[in-house]
Amino acid sequence: MKFYKDHYDVIVVGGALAGLSAALMLADKGKDVLVLERHNLPGGIATSFVRGGIEIEAALHEMMSIGDKDNRLKVGKFFDDMGVDVDWLKVPEAYHASLPGLEVTLHPGLERFAKEVDAAVPGTYDKVLRLLNLCHTVFDSVNELSIHPMSKPMMLLKHEAFVKTAGYSTKEVLDTFQLPQKALDLLAPYWIYVGSGFSDLPFTIFSVLMADYIGYGSFIPRKFSHEMSLKMAERAEAMGVQIEYRQQVDKILVKDGTAYGVRTARGDEIHADYVICSAYPNKVYTSMIEPASAVPAGAVKMVNGRRLSLTAFSVIMILDQPAEKLNIRDYSIFRGDTMDTDALYKNLAGLGPYRYLTCICHNYGNPDCTPEGTCSFSITVLPRVDGWKTVKAEDYDAVKHRVAKQLIDDMSAYFGVNLLDHVLELVIETPMTVARYTGAWNGCIYGYAHTMEDHIIARLQTAEAERFIKHLEFSGAHAISGDGMGPAVTNGRKAAKNVLDTMAEEAAK
Amino acid sequence: MKVKGFLKDVGGASRVTKARLEAFESASAAPVREDPIGDVARAWHPGRLRVKVDGIKTASPTAKSFRFVREDGGELPFFYAGQYMVIDFEIGKSVISRPYSISSAPSQARGKEGFVEITVRRSRGDGFICDHLNDNVKVGDVFTAQIGLGQFYYEPLRDAKHVVALAGGVGITPFASMAREVAAGRLDMDLTILYGSVVSTDIILKDELEALQGDRVHVVHVLSGDEPDWKGERGFLSAEIIKKYSAPDTTYFICGPQVMYRFLREELKKLDIPARRVRFEVFGQAKDITTFEGYPMELKDRTFKLTVRRGIHEDVIDAKATESLVVALERAGIRIETGCRSGECGFCRTKVLSGSVYVCPENDGRRAADRDFGYVHACAAYPTSDLTIKIPIE
Repeated sequence: MKFYKDHYDVIVVGGALAGLSAALMLADKGKDVLVLERHNLPGGIATSFVRGGIEIEAALHEMMSIGDKDNRLKVGKFFDDMGVDVDWLKVPEAYHASLPGLEVTLHPGLERFAKEVDAAVPGTYDKVLRLLNLCHTVFDSVNELSIHPMSKPMMLLKHEAFVKTAGYSTKEVLDTFQLPQKALDLLAPYWIYVGSGFSDLPFTIFSVLMADYIGYGSFIPRKFSHEMSLKMAERAEAMGVQIEYRQQVDKILVKDGTAYGVRTARGDEIHADYVICSAYPNKVYTSMIEPASAVPAGAVKMVNGRRLSLTAFSVIMILDQPAEKLNIRDYSIFRGDTMDTDALYKNLAGLGPYRYLTCICHNYGNPDCTPEGTCSFSITVLPRVDGWKTVKAEDYDAVKHRVAKQLIDDMSAYFGVNLLDHVLELVIETPMTVARYTGAWNGCIYGYAHTMEDHIIARLQTAEAERFIKHLEFSGAHAISGDGMGPAVTNGRKAAKNVLDTMAEEAAK
Repeated sequence: MKVKGFLKDVGGASRVTKARLEAFESASAAPVREDPIGDVARAWHPGRLRVKVDGIKTASPTAKSFRFVREDGGELPFFYAGQYMVIDFEIGKSVISRPYSISSAPSQARGKEGFVEITVRRSRGDGFICDHLNDNVKVGDVFTAQIGLGQFYYEPLRDAKHVVALAGGVGITPFASMAREVAAGRLDMDLTILYGSVVSTDIILKDELEALQGDRVHVVHVLSGDEPDWKGERGFLSAEIIKKYSAPDTTYFICGPQVMYRFLREELKKLDIPARRVRFEVFGQAKDITTFEGYPMELKDRTFKLTVRRGIHEDVIDAKATESLVVALERAGIRIETGCRSGECGFCRTKVLSGSVYVCPENDGRRAADRDFGYVHACAAYPTSDLTIKIPIE
């Protein structure tokens, strides 16, 4: 039996957001694309599951880079352009910050946000707005330069703020604003979505994060992230992409330094001109390239020289009361006993007790997402892989329950309601859960840490030299733009663009 | 604008690029393949394994227990008491899968001597795999299996410490696993099993359960049949009997035949138990789909043409209106992955490209967006026209 064509233009390994974005873009340009996904669903962790008849979001807190219908940002626009018609719901707030001495709910819109910070920490309006505007200026430059690169002198002229902040950490730039600690604390909660402490987080990344989320708000699909993933997959198939589920790729085949196909766990050898891979470079360069001798030493040094970023631990509950009856009043709560992000980053290297929690009550963004009289509430910590790497299979269940209980107890104390008295359904997702369903290297969902040693601008500068194997591109959280579902789309598009550019260059020769 | 000074400010991009390249230069060139988090995921969920029948025992006059070990001698996966395993049976040109609750304890699967056991009763003429197991399977036979699936297990952060298990017939098996785990001191709960049978000779694992009775495990047999010498509880698993064995805060786990579920739903209503305290095991493939609400009776004798797409390959097979798409595929020798066969797990998620199906309303565990795009769980979907589907390549 013949399940595959003799040849494809491009094989995409991994049918999550990055892989599907790449497939959409390539199909849009008339390329013949095969997507191989190891699970029986698209989306990777951008998915949902059903427990006790109730559908539950698996991972998405809030999607950035979407924008309102009449003012789309890059990811929202890409979906519109590709005909991926997601039913987006706007999240009503930025977040509720529950920090030492602060209980403040903040909303998107730069001026509104600055006013709300000012109400909590009087006299900070001008400085906070100036900071947010700086973030926005850098954000605009990043978006502009990602489409239209230009020379360094030209950049300095036209994108001064971007250039002059590029070499600094978030802390270094924030220090120049001389804001009171409480105002800084209120600006910090989203740090976890980029996963480095402020002394090591590039200000460029902080800028993009703040401008995107605070400037334009965030969105969720009405029927959970599975709606988004499925609509991407369906659209890709309608455009002629072949998607095959339950096909794990074991090997990427390379000849004369050029990728020419893959071999699946089932044993199918499939050929293509290009391979776009969502598996981590760590795995690809150490065990997937065939022959192994085709891996240059530089590739191994590169993956060894990078630090894996965060993974995820969530306890997701369906509770048998409406949210307000349990004193849950916000879509998103960030709660910490400090907002010293460097200290929190250290805390994430262990196995708890964790000091910084992120909670989502989807009902505030999507009121009908659970049956009447119930609500959905999740508590997430995004730990580093370090601690979880030490957990043995025989201790795994005890560790996961201990950590889950700590998170629930902390939030129960905060609400003054024992959440454990209201659990209809409870699911604990761990780094191992991520590994089980996606195969992600060490269950890491964030790719490589955004640090001053692995700065996005440096990644862009050296990207060409890091395409170690010809006709092999990487997409996923481990690619240049890093973690998050929005950046995943950007990473996929970048991989597709590289393929299209190479095709054009080689055709021109 | 200025951060620290013009020269330092404009040199930022070069500085960070240099830092990155230096980090790579000083990194080791030795490949690091360790993925310990993935290793734990694989120890719990290794996927399909080859297992060998290591022992067969009588569990009642009509039931046998089958003990499995790994064919390669390796360690069995971790799982929770109450979960099931899926066994693939190669019969003729077909591979037919069945889920069976594991009746041994998770702790019995550990170590070199570790094993898993299922307990299977002869059918009453309608379950040819159950009969095949009882009649033909022998020690040394090898199967492909997936061990440790399903949501029917005690969750300490959700369930009450006091658990009343309501078992009917062969539905005792997940509770046998739980009881063994509790008795071994490996599961922290108090378990009372109310086990409904017609007559005492129907009781499966009777001696084994008796041996587990103790501080934290209680087994109460409830007989509905005419047995004059019976000293224990009589009747059905009624609200009255359930109440008698309940603590003020109790979680009820229920596993048994479909008719028992319909009966118990009514009985439990009388006791005013919060929804979060009641957990039903999935009941398996509908025995007779025509008895479910909304089934199009006028089609029940029809056979439809089912076009099956796998990759770019297509087959055309027959599909009876009263048999699920999974059964039609298995009959035709087309492999499809299944788990619970109750519409819950989604292993058999299938896209209907054209044509129509009836989905068993009590086994509809689909995601909302999947419904919108014509996906079904093939074990719970029945053809109501000629149709074309796409399934994964196995």
